[in-house]
Amino acid sequence: MSLGARLARVDRRLIFLLMTLAVAGPILIPIKLPIIVSKEVEDFYREIEALSPGDHVLLAIDYEPDVMAELSPMSEAVLDRLFAKDTKIVALTLYPGGVGIAQGLLEEAAARHGKTYGEDYVFLGYNPDYSGTMLRLGESIKATYPTDQFGRDTRDLPILRDCDAYRDLSLLVSICGSQLSEFWAAYAGGRYGQRMVSGNTAVQAILIYPFYQSGQIKGFLGGLKGAAEYETRIQRPGQGVRGMGSQTAGHVVIVLLVLVGNAGYLAARRRRA
Amino acid sequence: MLQRSLPIFFAGLVGIFMAVQYFVLHPGMARIYNLVLDWKQVVFACTLMLGVFSLIRFHWRKIARRTADAFYSLVVVISCSITVLAAAVFGTETGPYTWLYDRVQAPMQATMFSLLAYFVASASYRAFRARSVHATLLLLAGAVVMLGRVPTGDLIGFELHGQRVSLASIAAWILDTPNLAAKRGILIGVGLGMISTSLRIILGIERAYLGLSRGTGADI
Repeated sequence: MSLGARLARVDRRLIFLLMTLAVAGPILIPIKLPIIVSKEVEDFYREIEALSPGDHVLLAIDYEPDVMAELSPMSEAVLDRLFAKDTKIVALTLYPGGVGIAQGLLEEAAARHGKTYGEDYVFLGYNPDYSGTMLRLGESIKATYPTDQFGRDTRDLPILRDCDAYRDLSLLVSICGSQLSEFWAAYAGGRYGQRMVSGNTAVQAILIYPFYQSGQIKGFLGGLKGAAEYETRIQRPGQGVRGMGSQTAGHVVIVLLVLVGNAGYLAARRRRA
Repeated sequence: MLQRSLPIFFAGLVGIFMAVQYFVLHPGMARIYNLVLDWKQVVFACTLMLGVFSLIRFHWRKIARRTADAFYSLVVVISCSITVLAAAVFGTETGPYTWLYDRVQAPMQATMFSLLAYFVASASYRAFRARSVHATLLLLAGAVVMLGRVPTGDLIGFELHGQRVSLASIAAWILDTPNLAAKRGILIGVGLGMISTSLRIILGIERAYLGLSRGTGADI
């Protein structure tokens, strides 16, 4: 068998082995890579930094465990920064499978910063019907969520005493792995003029550019790279920075495989001609 | 007759109201608007319950008929029942329900998604071929964005008229310009499509959402 034919017929198991080594290798032996902060991440950072202590922030943790590895690092970094700035966090999720993730992230971050539930942060839980919820929040948070995730009456929570609609929120942070950031921009931003930033999976981030360019989304974090850039910007290296080695190696392996596949394909075509 | 005309009438009425209320700032309008939103959420919650009921019924029938893949249906029914029971008996804050979420659902969903890395690698190798000019352009753009969206993108580059051009900056241009233009075109098309479909529903022309064929009112 010629070299061209061999290149065109690499065993699938070898590809899987290469990918395993590319992803697992940098986790076992960490690689230090330079991380340069992009404009969209810098804008995201500026929006968070512009908040003052006591400002209310709506944090929508709209994802399920499937994209947890990509989005939880940015959620952790954002929560740490918001708590460090003494802002009041009103969190919710529009995915039933996101409740456990959001609750865990909030409790861990609150414990790290010594924050009190009901005063410094609240978790409203899951509400069905994303568009209805987004629009209803513009009229009344307490009417949309009469009780929080744990069944407490939202009217009795100190954090919501002076906060009941978008007009009382300084910023909306949407972290999601689907189109929900676009819907937040259309419903909360378009109808109620809510200022917002987003954190998205790398696939979804590509679709955020039109909203970012038009100013509907003030800044965004794209995938694990976005999380790594934000962690670098706030000088808090975490899972995002640690994951860059694996992601880089994985991308390089895929590009090399594409090159190898094409070399084999071109050699076979030349032989046929 | 009423079964067909009443839903069409209400859809039109609510559709016209929701369009008008956007431009009219009146407390009375706001009250009805909130009522509509509350009902929308109630109806949505009911559809979730209907979804669970349909899922169980579908799999229960497969189990009863002992089809070849009935075992998987049994897994669905048992998993669903255990989760509902765990939540109903022990609550959703702690206990077996959270254990099931943390130890079963989360790892399973994460694992399924992680497998994509292998499929993407294998599929890219087999299918991403420079068969034509268009395919070659797509291939090049894909490779540049893949390498440009990781830290290596900042390391690989060249000098042009005294300015450094890196893979990261080329990837950013691809995303900022051609990608943005294409996405905006799609968004405008989708927006116009949504307006025309909404108008058709409000005017009673579009009836497919009721399970009726257009115009004649005959069942599909």
